[in-house]
Amino acid sequence: MANIFPRSANWAPIKIIIGIFFLATVVTSAVTYYATPKYLRVGYEPKQPVPFDHSWHAGKDGLNLDCRFCHNNVTKSEHSNVPPTSTCMSCHAVIKSTSPKLAPVRDSLLTGDPIEWVKVHKTPDYVYFNHAAHVNRGVSCVECHGRVDEMQTVKHAKSHSMAFCLDCHRNPENAVRPIEHVFDLGWHPGGENATNKDQKKAQHELGTQLVEEWKVQPPLSCFGCHR
Amino acid sequence: MKRKFYHPEPTKAELNGPAYWKSLDDLQGNHQFQEWVNREFPDGADTMSDVDRRNFMKIMAASFGLAGVGVTGCRMPERKILPYTKQPEFLIPGVANYYSTSMPFGGENIPLVVETHQARPTKIEGNPSYKPNGGGTSTFSQVSILDLYDPDRARSHRDSSGKAISRADAESLIKDAASEFEGSTGEGLAFLATSSSSPTRAHLVSSLAAKFPKAIWAEHEGIDLSNPSKAVSALLQRPVRTVHHFDKAKRILSLDSDFVGYEGNATGNARAYAKGRKINSAKEATKMSRLYVAESNLSLAGANADHRLRMASTNIPAFAALVASHLVPSVKAPSGFSELEQQWAKECAADLLGHKGRALVVAGSHLAQEVHQVVVAMNEALEARGKTLEYVATDENKSTSIADLAAALEGNKVKTLVILGGNPAYDAPASVNWESAQAKAGKVIRLGYSEDETYSARSNWHAFIAQTHFLESWGDGRAWDGTYVPVQPMLAPLFGGMTEIELLARFLSKSVTDPHDQVRKTFEEISKKSDSRTFNKWLAEGILPGSAHTAVTTAFNKTVLDAIPSRFSPKVNFLNKDNLEVRFVPSAHNWDGRFANNGWAQECPHPITKITWDNAILISAKLAEELGGIIPDPWSMSGQVFGQDLNQLVRRTNEFNRGREITPIYQVTVDGVTVEGPLHVQPGIADYTLVLPLGHGRKTVGRVGKDSGFNFYPVRKSATSTSVGGVKISDTNRSYKLANTQEHWSQEGRAIIREGTADEYSKNPEFTSQMGMESHSPKLYPKIKDKETGKWREMTQQEKAMFVPRGNSAYTPPKYTEIEKKSDRFKLLIPGRYSPDGLFDQDLDNDEVSQTYHQQWGMVIDFNACIGCNSCVVACQSENNIPIVGKDQVLRGREMHWMRIDRYFSSDVYRNDGKFANDPKPDKRVIPDEVQVSFQSVACAQCELAPCESVCPVNATVHDEQGLNTMAYNRCIGTRYCANNCPYKVRRFNFLDWNKRDMGHFYEGPLGPAGVNELEQMQKNPDVSVRMRGVMEKCTYCVQRIQEAKINHKAKHPGSADVKVPDGTIKTACQQSCPTEAITFGDILDTESEVSKLKDSDRNYAVLGYLNIRPRTTYLSKIRNPNPAMPKAYPKPFARMEYDARYGHGLDANEMDYLGLPKGGDDHVHPVGSGNH
Repeated sequence: MANIFPRSANWAPIKIIIGIFFLATVVTSAVTYYATPKYLRVGYEPKQPVPFDHSWHAGKDGLNLDCRFCHNNVTKSEHSNVPPTSTCMSCHAVIKSTSPKLAPVRDSLLTGDPIEWVKVHKTPDYVYFNHAAHVNRGVSCVECHGRVDEMQTVKHAKSHSMAFCLDCHRNPENAVRPIEHVFDLGWHPGGENATNKDQKKAQHELGTQLVEEWKVQPPLSCFGCHR
Repeated sequence: MKRKFYHPEPTKAELNGPAYWKSLDDLQGNHQFQEWVNREFPDGADTMSDVDRRNFMKIMAASFGLAGVGVTGCRMPERKILPYTKQPEFLIPGVANYYSTSMPFGGENIPLVVETHQARPTKIEGNPSYKPNGGGTSTFSQVSILDLYDPDRARSHRDSSGKAISRADAESLIKDAASEFEGSTGEGLAFLATSSSSPTRAHLVSSLAAKFPKAIWAEHEGIDLSNPSKAVSALLQRPVRTVHHFDKAKRILSLDSDFVGYEGNATGNARAYAKGRKINSAKEATKMSRLYVAESNLSLAGANADHRLRMASTNIPAFAALVASHLVPSVKAPSGFSELEQQWAKECAADLLGHKGRALVVAGSHLAQEVHQVVVAMNEALEARGKTLEYVATDENKSTSIADLAAALEGNKVKTLVILGGNPAYDAPASVNWESAQAKAGKVIRLGYSEDETYSARSNWHAFIAQTHFLESWGDGRAWDGTYVPVQPMLAPLFGGMTEIELLARFLSKSVTDPHDQVRKTFEEISKKSDSRTFNKWLAEGILPGSAHTAVTTAFNKTVLDAIPSRFSPKVNFLNKDNLEVRFVPSAHNWDGRFANNGWAQECPHPITKITWDNAILISAKLAEELGGIIPDPWSMSGQVFGQDLNQLVRRTNEFNRGREITPIYQVTVDGVTVEGPLHVQPGIADYTLVLPLGHGRKTVGRVGKDSGFNFYPVRKSATSTSVGGVKISDTNRSYKLANTQEHWSQEGRAIIREGTADEYSKNPEFTSQMGMESHSPKLYPKIKDKETGKWREMTQQEKAMFVPRGNSAYTPPKYTEIEKKSDRFKLLIPGRYSPDGLFDQDLDNDEVSQTYHQQWGMVIDFNACIGCNSCVVACQSENNIPIVGKDQVLRGREMHWMRIDRYFSSDVYRNDGKFANDPKPDKRVIPDEVQVSFQSVACAQCELAPCESVCPVNATVHDEQGLNTMAYNRCIGTRYCANNCPYKVRRFNFLDWNKRDMGHFYEGPLGPAGVNELEQMQKNPDVSVRMRGVMEKCTYCVQRIQEAKINHKAKHPGSADVKVPDGTIKTACQQSCPTEAITFGDILDTESEVSKLKDSDRNYAVLGYLNIRPRTTYLSKIRNPNPAMPKAYPKPFARMEYDARYGHGLDANEMDYLGLPKGGDDHVHPVGSGNH
């Protein structure tokens, strides 16, 4: 009986094995890179119904408002609340009261319907993150949200993956700062002009001291965040 | 590290010890039961029934197909944040608000505090400002919140044709009906309401009487508890109520009264009673109160009694006279009681007399008023008034009864009938044919909560007005002691309902109809202050201080008291199989039937029978035997079981294997009326009493309460009656499955609940630690060298807590950085280096430990205080989003309660080679009727060396820094190894999607209707994950409350070293609801905390301590307080004698004597004095 397979078929198994190996490598690398919050979330910058400019309201060159002017419950609650329409209108009833950009805000106050802000930072339902626990222990907003005071439109700056949380929970001294600077996003432990390396060193020294002083023991077990 | 534990094989002598049994099958010792015990879960718990393999494949194929279609792409869905437009006052998103209110319940308002999340009530707590209840709650208060979210509640007002109408239309219908009587005397107008303590309603009723003097005002409660007050009121000739102070009573006699279970003020009574039972040290043991109970049904009070006498309810009046004859000279002792009963009464009376001013007699509210008057005379003789009880003046109630109203209706004298709440068509006494009476009214206005029996009996409907739940109503009322309390709404009525007081005010065309304004007006009258500040303070605190009823000081008229015996000559009835008595009790699940559509109420196991979702005819073992071949030995396949023939039995053998209670349905005939229900043999019931729990078997009820239980109202002639004579019982040849959780978790009679007598405890305070296998094993903890004295000593609780490595699991928490290394924390965490002599060469500094390390949580449960009321079980369910699974799933052993209360019986019948030493018929096995009851609440004990952790293949359950055994639902893959390895059997598995699908659709998979009712979802606690199918869950020590307290403490002290939550801040849900404060929780590293002090008690012990799992929940042993002078006074608790004989040091001479065993020469027991060894 004649050979059914040509001679070249002898190489087929090896080619298939190599092919599968190659494919597996590509898929694994792609998943590890693309299917992570680092890729999927960072940079997310949806359009908001009102073009609210954080860099103007909270920025140094603008009004320099404290974060808590609007997010006033952040020190008391697990949520950092998005302000009610009345907070916006407490100023904008007088300032730029006819601006077309603010039309949705005025409508909201008149009709009682909320402004539909688009959510940027989303913790999964099984994570019980608590803002009050962090800002009262010297963790600044900037650690998780980046320089919001420099953003015109809010975007997702950090990955918010579990590894991201644990990095800090394992080494809290790299993030803890004096309470009075928690809402000062541009604050540097080593002073304004220190180099990056010096900043890190200064932060580490200060953080170590504060962690010792305040007995900071961030939970590392599951019940810390999942329950 | 793997550990293996070997249970020693029981010796022959041990096997032949006295019976400490948990169920009838246990007592039987049949081999199926043994096999059942040896299984972790009942057979079938892990298999799917109702779906065969072929169907399963079909469904799965369909679901895979749908999954392909359903992929919506990889983009994250856009989510919205919707802030308020105007921030409501005091409302912070993410922070719970607590408001006071009160629950109207049978003419008493129970003060409560309600947790709300953004105006959504999620959890009910007791109001601690109201001192008698002190923050404790009953199961009924706990479950009431679920009624607010009842999916079957009335969602609209309706007109005569049943069509939904607007609120304005409803108002005008009321106005129309009222206008017919405008200017008349009100003849032909009638109202039927439930009892209420609301002063606002009382005002409306008096203005009704003024406006329409001839109108009929009737009040009716399905379970009427008013007899005691009526009896005393008649004696004092003014309306009064008895307020008991059980905490001040050292000797208590209860005559058929379940004063801690369902009588008025049960929560307050339970709390006060437990105060008298709690002891801190052996020195206080003799100061414990002593409880005597004579009763027919095994009630909660009886289950906690030191001496309990089984007696038919119809003989209780005569027994009251018998006891009274020793206390009140003018009362003559009735003849006919047995020697033992006479002796019992005599010694009990002597003990009561020996504690004048510190003794108390109470009687059940179903007993006739004459009995209560004799009780008054007894309490007078005991000088109880002003000390252990008070008679307080209440408001007068001029209502007529439902029977009078029905008579007027039957006489066609009622043109317009207004039914305010209640469900008279279901729970009216059988002597009143309410349905036909109701049909005779010209027209009916009905204020109702849902479509019930009264609704389905409509024919002459004028309007149906949807009623509000109390959590969405304005109202007021009085607590048991008369304290004026508000009913405050948590949210606007979900379906625009109307309150009773608004309807009445509208009917009377009052100028003020708004319930809030009405209540405000009443408040101003009562408090005599009209400022908003006082009103708001009342709402904030939930009570008006100083508004309680005042005690009546008028003395009883001596001639009236002396005349009582002449009007009271009860006889002793001799009952037998053909002349039975019936005793009605309210349902422990549904009360009078009002909670029938409430899944928490239905699924909470009955405190004594442990039956869920049903009621049953409870009978004694003696009666069961006389009814024919009762002792179920179904596997022997011989003879009859409950009179059923062999064929039926064989067909059902398979079902028996599932551990279900299959029981025959019997008919009960009283005066020609017949009802039927399944039999349940309940040890502890009087020989010829049939106990019929009311409140089940509702015909017109929502989806939850459908087909649950049997209705016994048709044989109850009046709201307070206990029938006797002519009660017959007969077999129907049908059988019924009862979902009973009792036979799960048999614990084989070891030293699980350790019991002793007060006398023994005062002589040998260490008896608790001398029991159990660990008392013979090498010490679990080594001795350490004291830093200061340099001597070797035992470890303290605190050192023990820090000594073992957290977890013993494969998972080690990652290490801290430099700070960690700097502190000597690691030193404490290193496993002990045992020297050969069992000493530990390590020095621990207590202060430093508690300063540097996380707080370590622990719990203590006091068996002396636990009365087995189930409040904690429901509180836990409410707090932790625990699903309801339904009767069908409970039958498969899949109930989800994180906390359960095990109920054990023990008897003094000694088992000797299967024969009973003091049994007249030694060849036959009998179920004892004389039993002692022990309760044990069990939840995850957070073992330090948790066996569940070491077997988890995915590290879903590991230890945390605070000593909690964590459960990460997202890691869990559902292997169920952990549940198999848990010695306490406290882990619960989500076999099906309880939270995603409605009951009855669990098996339909993706093809069934998805999602549960939105209303039900509103109850969920947002701080706790709702678990999905396929994951394990268990008690977490309410970790959400721990975390919240820790974070709140840090938020209060930002940037400081003050990180320890003060003791008492955190209360777990079970602890908070416990009316007797049996549960204590706190930091065991803190030597000053309440829990540490209790753990240092000599009564403290760990259940299954010999397994070296080191549970953080430990128990305080139970102390009983028997009176040695009583007839058949037990020398030790039954359970203890059994322990001594089987696993302990043998029975001593006293115990042998008590059990009627031959002294000496018996090789089955070693008559060694127990105690020191």
